[in-house]
Amino acid sequence: MKKIIAIIRSENVEETKAALKGLGINGATFLHVTGRGMPEGLSPARSLSEERPAAFRAPDERQDGLPVPKGATLPVSPPKTKPGPAGFLPQRMLIIVAHDADVRPNINTLVAANQTGRHGDGKIFVCPMISAIRVRNGEQGDSALA
Amino acid sequence: MKMIWAIIRPEYSQRVIDALEKTGISAMTRMNVTGHGAETELMAGLVNYSEIPKEMLMIVLPDIDVARAVRIISTVAKTWQKENPGHGAVGDGKIFVTYVDDAHTIRTAENKKRSPGLPATTGPPV
Repeated sequence: MKKIIAIIRSENVEETKAALKGLGINGATFLHVTGRGMPEGLSPARSLSEERPAAFRAPDERQDGLPVPKGATLPVSPPKTKPGPAGFLPQRMLIIVAHDADVRPNINTLVAANQTGRHGDGKIFVCPMISAIRVRNGEQGDSALA
Repeated sequence: MKMIWAIIRPEYSQRVIDALEKTGISAMTRMNVTGHGAETELMAGLVNYSEIPKEMLMIVLPDIDVARAVRIISTVAKTWQKENPGHGAVGDGKIFVTYVDDAHTIRTAENKKRSPGLPATTGPPV
């Protein structure tokens, strides 16, 4: 029996729930937490440059193909700040207790549902678990897991 | 690799986080919880406050950093008592350390196993 603790982006929660349902996992606990990873790891789900309006692009990255007039003073993006200690961002913590054999498919599902390839996707930790007890009837051990 | 669950006073959490960050431990998860340990007799009039707001920090660290982190948390999260210096007060919190078998980074699907030579559920104390 293992406890899987996953820390994921808040916006991926519904996809994750659907993916877990597809796998036949019904029991999961979701917590609202705030967290951060490594100092350089702060980044939103979509990179900022994709959504930056044209007015905030540097002159050499005009994407409409029009020539930039000489002497034009286009607003440029603010200078990038040094990566420092990031603030705590809202995340969702997901706790699943699973049989040993189910750990690997669970992790694969969680990774597939949450991977965007950008920093801040989250972590999954697997911890040993000694026993589980069903409160309803006092059932113990592996059979207490659904 | 070990997981630290530290339950501390909310008013001390920023201090603890800053102290950890100074030694290079910046990745952590924090959550607001309520509960009580030995401070059950927190009476205000006739009301017994049994759900006292606390803050819980979850930190996963390589084995070599765990003792340092625990020392920092237990020093910084301690309240200072004038009449009994060096001793904290009831309600300062608890630190739990558990084993972690695997850690996966979702971004790269990278997998770090637990340190070799340690059994899954038992081992020497930190």
